[in-house]
Order: sequence, then structure tokens, then C-alpha cells
Amino acid sequence: MFRWKRELVSYPFYLIMHPFNGYWDLKYERGKKTNLILSFAILVLLALTNIMRTQYSGFLVNVVNPDNMNSLMEIVYVVVPVLFWCVANWSLTTLMDGEGKFEEIFTSTCFALIPLVLIHFPWIWLSNVISLQETSFYHFSGSVAMAWFLFLMFVGNMTVHQYSPMKTIATGMLTILAMGFMAFLCMLFFSLMQQIVAFISIIYQEIVLRS
Amino acid sequence: MMLKRITRLRGCLLLAMCCLVGFGAFGAGARQVHADDGASSYNYSFWGDTVASPKAYEATALLNGAKLGTGPLKDPSDLFVSADERIYVLDAGNNRVLVLDRQFKLVRIIDSFERDGKKEAFLNPQGLFVTDRNELIVADTGNKRVVHLDSDDNVVKVIDSPQSELLAEGFNFEPVRVVADKAQRIYVMAAGVFDGFMEFSASGDFTSFIGANRVNFDPTDYLWKMLSTRAQRSQMVMFTPTEFTNLDMNDEGFIYATNGQASDNVKKLNAQGSDILRREGYFPPEGDIRFTTLDGPTRLADIDVADSEIFAILDATRGRIFTYSGDGHFMYVFGGIGNQLGEFHTPVAIERVGDDYIVLDKALGELTVFQTTEYGRTLNEAVRSYYKGEEEKAYELFQKTINMNANLEFAYAGIGKALLRQGEYGEAMNYFKQSMDQRGYSKAFLLYRKQVLREHFTAIMTVVAVLVLALFLIRRYLKRKGGKKIVPMEA
Repeated sequence: MFRWKRELVSYPFYLIMHPFNGYWDLKYERGKKTNLILSFAILVLLALTNIMRTQYSGFLVNVVNPDNMNSLMEIVYVVVPVLFWCVANWSLTTLMDGEGKFEEIFTSTCFALIPLVLIHFPWIWLSNVISLQETSFYHFSGSVAMAWFLFLMFVGNMTVHQYSPMKTIATGMLTILAMGFMAFLCMLFFSLMQQIVAFISIIYQEIVLRS
Repeated sequence: MMLKRITRLRGCLLLAMCCLVGFGAFGAGARQVHADDGASSYNYSFWGDTVASPKAYEATALLNGAKLGTGPLKDPSDLFVSADERIYVLDAGNNRVLVLDRQFKLVRIIDSFERDGKKEAFLNPQGLFVTDRNELIVADTGNKRVVHLDSDDNVVKVIDSPQSELLAEGFNFEPVRVVADKAQRIYVMAAGVFDGFMEFSASGDFTSFIGANRVNFDPTDYLWKMLSTRAQRSQMVMFTPTEFTNLDMNDEGFIYATNGQASDNVKKLNAQGSDILRREGYFPPEGDIRFTTLDGPTRLADIDVADSEIFAILDATRGRIFTYSGDGHFMYVFGGIGNQLGEFHTPVAIERVGDDYIVLDKALGELTVFQTTEYGRTLNEAVRSYYKGEEEKAYELFQKTINMNANLEFAYAGIGKALLRQGEYGEAMNYFKQSMDQRGYSKAFLLYRKQVLREHFTAIMTVVAVLVLALFLIRRYLKRKGGKKIVPMEA
């Protein structure tokens, strides 16, 4: 029972507090399966946190048009950037002598998201009992969560690929560039697909109407 | 057996999907738009959507030269209502001023005055103003002068060809609109002047410019200008500040001015010429915020400021009159371009006499009179009582208003403020939330929190004490039983 607890509950907390050791363990010591289970759990929790944030956060920090609120999109906003990052990072680092496997990149990225869940989740309720002056604490802790997340991403990437700090930053920048490029390609792909589908359906209509 | 499991699985999935969709749909369901069938006006919601609203004003009368018994009006250009509710119409094409009483009956016509023993007339005058002492000031554009007459049509002063080192050599003085403050200073809006309004002292000497607009330019234009040669540049249009299109003065002596820009087009100028207009509404007071590119944005032609800082602006493009409260909340809109009663061809001036609006149409030479509906009256009174600080009365009137128009979001804040004063903090919070007023909400919330904490102080403290004690005991128990539990991770 305690072993289970250490593997699944204590370890993520240990990782975010001691990222260098934590990521080392992630890469070399721990089982793949538990890491993947934990990663997916973190993604689900983050999506859930974001959904609940838009729905239940206090009025003073959360002015969201109910007409534009979409839980499915919130899930997409979590999953797609993570996937894009992982694919772009993997594609680049394989060319740049990175030692990380795709699965390692994915789990390290997901583990870096833990502070976003940990800090934002309690604020969903706390933000309901603060005044306008106290919202600066809310925004401050949001920035802390972001900084923490970026730091973990940095350490994670460095450890997983066994890079030097400068090289990690450089690949990080390039990865973001590559993500932009991928987004562009995706748009191109979808718009082309749309045109092809429209073309085929028009031909079909034409044939049906003429015969 | 297998099939059964699959159906169960599918049921679970369906349930999960429903939950997710429900999350999203929950918010959307809260939106409700319902106004009476008679609704034919609109307002803007916090989110910038156009929402239905009842009519606040209705056209009740149309006046033209024939009805007034003065012969047809020719290109009338300005309108003014004096403190004793006389209506002055500037009939520019006929070079005369018509004075009407509150019932729109002709009182007299001013078409000439005596100066140094000679009879003089106006020439294509464009603007007029009447002081508290019923002295008439006319921007006599064609004669390039400003004429100041007292209540018996005797000349007090004539301002022409102003002299100052601020003015360029050979400056062409073409006054278009004019106002005067209580200290008899005259402010003139002149054609071709980009430095703001011209201020003249009581004796008629030019003193300074005030309230220039800022230069607005397109970045692409700027780029082209940087790339072109000096000779090319001299051929291009210069970047000059926008000219004002009209001005009015409230009873405290602040100038309200409009310019022809698409936004940032209303200003309230203090004596220094800086803009002190309050813009606390959901959108700055600038007319329509949603429009098609085909129609183009609002182009303001006139402004009128009434009591309680309520002001109205006239959009020449669509012929609409937008009215805002002193805080900048959009109250109501009426008018339009068309051929029916209550629509115009080329509206040029608006004025308010009592609660009624008068709109002057230049091309048709007509005056349209608008009177309040039940809704408009209630809303006017509510805003007025709120301005005066009569919270109790404002509360009731705002209640009445939202009963007629649930879409009027800023009214909820008015109710919230009254409730706050009465100590109903929780209720007040709800109303502030309804009107998306975060500052008011926060204020009510702080008081509410204090109230709740004070009421339940003993209960809260007891729970906290018990929790602390329990935690302490559990820790001691665990320690005694299991020894050290924390295992280093490096192992």
C-alpha cells in the first residue's frame, strides 16, 4: 500500500520540489507504465481545472461570456499544445543529438504541468472570497504557477535530452518556432481537405442532378 | 454477455459526454433576452451584443416654416434653447433668427441689428448661443465675425479679425459654432482651425486656443511618407488634428465637444482644455459600436448637454440620437434616416427643451419634436435621482425601469448601490454581478464578508480550534505508532 502511494502520489510532489533528481528518476529509474498513467492523469486534471476555473471562479477574476464557454474546447486547449510541443520537440531533438525518447518528452512535459493544477485548483474557491484589492494575490500566484511550470519544462527538457542549459533554451525557442510551423501546416492541410471534400461533393451533386 | 458489457460501456460514455456538454450549456442557458413586443429600439450589452429595448422617445410633432408662419426655412443650421425655454432657430439661408416659445409658437424674428447708426444683417450665419441674460451670440460666418446682441437687439460687441501672435499672418476668421460661459468668455469653433476652440475674453480679445484634438494617422500612410521624397511629401495630405464638429456648454461651464473621428469623438473640456469626460459605461460614448463597413462608423454632428450631466450626441450618418448619463452609460437611442415622422434627411442640430428633444433637419428645413414614453420618463428620472444622490428614489425608479427593460444592465448597478446603502450586502452583490460592475461587487462583498464573519465568529473559531487540536492529536498518535514514515526518494 505504501509503495503504491509513493509511486503515484508522493513522487509527483517530490518531482516538482526537486526537479533535477525527480527528472533523473523519471528518465532512468522509474517504470514507463506508471509514468504514462500519471501523465494522462495530470492532463485530465489540468483540463478539469481549466473547465472549473471558467465556470466557478469568482466574479472578480473571471469575466467570461457564457455564450463563448465551451468545455470541449477547454480540453482541446490543454491537449493540443502539449501534443504539438512534444511532436515538435521530438522532431528537433532527434536531429540535435537529444537523448530523449518521445515518451520521455511527453511524460516530462506533463509532469511540468503539475504546478498549474496545484496552484489554480484551490484558487477556484479562494477567488470567490476575495475582494478586488486582493485579486493581486490571485494574479501573482498565477504568475508563480507559470514561472514554476516554465522552470520545470526547462529542467525536464535538459535532463531528458542530457543537454547543456544554453542548448536547452535554444531548442526550446526552435521548438516554439516549429510549433508555429506545424500549426500552419495543419491549417493548410485542413483547408485543402475541405476543398477536396467540397469538390467531390459538388461532382457528386452534378452527376446526381444530371442523370 | 459481451454485448451487454458494450452497451453498459456506451451508456457510461454517453453520460460522460452529457456531463461535459452540460458544463458548457449551463452557462449559455442563463442568457435571457426578453423585451416587450413594442420594443423597437436597442442598447448594447456588456458583451457588445445589440439587445432589444423599448422606445424611450417618440416623435410627436413636425414643424416647418409654413406651420410657424414664417415662410419656408432655408438651410437652417443651428438651434438653441435658452434658460427660459425659448427656442432659437438659426435660419441661415434667410439670414435670420426665429424665436419660438415652449409651445412652438413664433415670438419674434431677428434679422437685423443697428451698429453705429447703420442697419446691419447677418450673412449665412452658422451657429448661435443664448446666454442666461437672453443675450444672443451669433457666429456670422459669411461676414467673418461674431455678433453679440443684448436682449433688446442692441450690439454689445462684434468680434472680427482677431489679432494675436498665436494666429498666422492673414488668418481667415470663419466662426462656425459659438458658446459663452457665465463669465462672458466666448468660445468659437472656427473653420480651418486645428488648434482647438478659440477663446475670447469678455471684451472680445482673442486669448488662446483650448482643447486641440490629437493627431490621428494611419501607420501605412506614415510608412509611405517616410519612403517618399520631400517633393512628393509636399504633395501629400498633411497629418493635422481632427477638427471639432460641434460644441455645447453645461451649466457648470464645461465645454462638451464632438469631432468627426470614428471613436474618441466626444470630449468634456475643463478650463485647461483637458478631457474630463467620465467613461464608465461598458463602451465609451461614441455612438454605434457595431456597424457594417459599408455604412461606416458614427460621424457626430452635434452634442447637447442637459441637466444632471445627461448628454446626447447626434450621428449624422444614420440620423440617430444617442443619450448617455453623466457616468457615460448608454441610456437610449432614437431617430434614423428616412421619410417617416421621426426620421431625417440631414440632421444638423439637437437641443433639449425640458425632457423633449428637438432635432433640426437642414435639407428639409424642419424641426422634429420628440417626447418621452413611459419608459424614457422613468429612466430619465432614475438617472436624475441617482445623480442627485437620492438613492431611495433611484432604487424604486431603476426597479421600475428594469421591469420594462430587463436588458438595461447599468440599471442593476444603480439598484445595487441603493441596496448597499441599506445594508443588504448579499442582495447588492447579486445586482452588481448582474450589471458586471466589479468595483461595486467588491465593495458589497467586503461588507458582506465582514458581516458574515462577525455573525458566525464563535462557530468559525470553534471549528478552527477543534481542527487544529485534532491534527495535533493524530500526528502524535501516528508518530508513537509507526515511527518515521518519510523515506528519502533518492533511494
